[in-house]
Amino acid sequence: MAHAHTHKVKRYSGIKDWLTTVDHKKIGILYLIAGGFFFLVGGLEALLIRIQLWKPMNDFVSADTFNELLTMHGTTMIFLAAMPMLFALMNAVVPLQIGARDVAFPFVNSLGFWTFLFGGILLNVSWFAGGAPDAGWTAYAPLAGTTYSGDHGVDYYVLGLQIAGIGTLIGGINFLVTIINMRAPGMTFMRMPLFTWTAFITSALILFAFPALAVGLAALMFDRLFDGNFFDPSGGGNAVLWEHIFWIFGHPEVYILILPAFGVISEVISTFSRKRLFGYSSMVFATILIGFLGFMVWAHHMFTTGLGPVANALFSIATMLIAVPTGIKIFNWLFTMWGGSIKFTTANLFAVGFIPTFVMGGVTGVMLAAAPADFQYHDSYFVVAHFHYVIVGGLILGIFAGLHYWWPKMFGRVLNETLGKLTFWTFFIGFHLTFFIQHFLGLLGMPRRIWTYLDGLGFNEMNMISTIGAVLMGFGTIFFLLNIVTTSFKPKNASGDPWEDGRTLEWTIPSPPPEYNFAQTPLVRGYDAYWKEKMEGHSGMTPAEPIGPIHMPSPSILPFFMGLGLFIAGIGFMYAQDWGNLFDGFKLGYAIGIAGLLILFLCMFLRSVYDDHGFHIEEEEILRDKGGKA
Amino acid sequence: MASNHTATEENAKRHKVEGPKKHIIAFIFSILLTFIAFATVISGEINKDFIYIILIGLAILQVFVQMAFWMHMKDRGHTFAIIGILTGVFIASTCVIMAEYWAWW
Repeated sequence: MAHAHTHKVKRYSGIKDWLTTVDHKKIGILYLIAGGFFFLVGGLEALLIRIQLWKPMNDFVSADTFNELLTMHGTTMIFLAAMPMLFALMNAVVPLQIGARDVAFPFVNSLGFWTFLFGGILLNVSWFAGGAPDAGWTAYAPLAGTTYSGDHGVDYYVLGLQIAGIGTLIGGINFLVTIINMRAPGMTFMRMPLFTWTAFITSALILFAFPALAVGLAALMFDRLFDGNFFDPSGGGNAVLWEHIFWIFGHPEVYILILPAFGVISEVISTFSRKRLFGYSSMVFATILIGFLGFMVWAHHMFTTGLGPVANALFSIATMLIAVPTGIKIFNWLFTMWGGSIKFTTANLFAVGFIPTFVMGGVTGVMLAAAPADFQYHDSYFVVAHFHYVIVGGLILGIFAGLHYWWPKMFGRVLNETLGKLTFWTFFIGFHLTFFIQHFLGLLGMPRRIWTYLDGLGFNEMNMISTIGAVLMGFGTIFFLLNIVTTSFKPKNASGDPWEDGRTLEWTIPSPPPEYNFAQTPLVRGYDAYWKEKMEGHSGMTPAEPIGPIHMPSPSILPFFMGLGLFIAGIGFMYAQDWGNLFDGFKLGYAIGIAGLLILFLCMFLRSVYDDHGFHIEEEEILRDKGGKA
Repeated sequence: MASNHTATEENAKRHKVEGPKKHIIAFIFSILLTFIAFATVISGEINKDFIYIILIGLAILQVFVQMAFWMHMKDRGHTFAIIGILTGVFIASTCVIMAEYWAWW
């Protein structure tokens, strides 16, 4: 502590630590808890939907409730479960994989989490405030306008997603800057692990796609809250415009979701095949190409809108083109496994199960891309089956693979393999049981988004099977939770490289890593940096610097209050029309809304004027850590 | 942020060498451009078609100033920012033009 520039070390513990942390590893865990919670909520909604549909003319829930369940299931799963769980993995792993001590903007990282969480909570408050959004997760106009959705349901959708979207957008920017600027010496772009690459491309997609959503939601907000008229044809607006804006965001969004899953699968398959990833550079190229093409295909969601044959043909071809880079990836994974000494750990089971499942989703994708055929499939259960194959069979299996793979790195404990395999088989079989049959339901003509169906249409047995599958998926999730709980009582004894075949930098440091990650920044000498050192007989990485004091950012409570401010502002503006006047001519709701924004601006002001230089972790402490762990 | 402090010191040094001079000039220039645009419209003595041409010309100049000075596109070592901005311009213009085309014409 003899350094002249030592600042007072700020460290909190307990709940205060979690509210103020700017450590990417802890923020990753926060994302995982929040995303996992919303995953359970969305899963519960899915189960209720399946219970309603398990027999014809069922009256388990009312039609209104069914619409709410359906809308909230989609919205929750995409925005509040899948995205944050990806951010959880990205936060936990990307800085470690590039040999960085933190992300580029730790404060912004924490702000991204809290705005996401408050947006998600706002969206779900709607359940207790007189009705959740019920216009579908796409919120098509004019259905989502005040004429057809008069209550506050869709307001919650608009404001909740807007606030959560801010969090996602700044999270994406943070990872772009981190990956460009914070790589360890020698970690060139073409030496980056594939998960980092996919996180990079996904962040770029977030950067370009989320503003479109923000614009669309802002316009819809003006329509709904301030009597604007962007999307209502009866007043000169344009309903198709909403479809364009939504899908200009919405299509890249599905690639935002799936690309990191591709990254996870690449890491897991390569590690457990004990082989270098086959065709690394073509994988990188395919990722970039998918990212780019993802922006040029949005109108394939609108084939039946009536854009005309030229537009339909163009988007048809562009969509089919995406199958090429995706096919490259599939074959690369197969060739990686070919001749490898494969270990079927739980993580690898999920990864191997991912491949055929995702291929099936991809094939139905190409079928749907054929515009004339799409007129038959459109709005049927075939589409439901397709997108659940790519999102659950792709993304969720990828997330499960990633969680089992990186769990020891995040928490210092290896998940139980028996329970893990039980999770995989129940979830995997349940998944195929639920959704495979839905292809045929769709081809038989069962429309999506209906709350019940008549007897004698030939839908009965298939719906029953689908519901049984959904229950199995529920059991799979329960086994996973059970695994987490039982593992958390075990001693924290995972080694730095618990799979023993770790290839990338995150396995060179203790599990869980110290808050500064790397006592000495490693020198990267090639792709699969750690594997390379192992093969040359070294026990660890060559350090790129001597041990010295490490500069750390200070924790801050401001991001929490910024999220809270946005939450209060959202509630206030939403209910301004209902809550009456505070005093003559000034609505109470507006006062609350403005108060919320003032909290936000006050926090921004404090952050701007109060210079916090962070603190240093001194050599003594780093050496003590090293001694204790080694 | 959590890097060794040498990096931060280097950053500070670079900024000191550059100084705020160019930024102040760019700031005055962009305000001037805005003022000219405002003046041409408010004067009410210039032909309407001619005003359009002037405004578009001024807007292009304004974009140039903003991009070069404020987005640092003139500086070396900003390749990623340039790639990012150009990709964004390309994607945004494609989406806006196409969506407008199909929504209204």
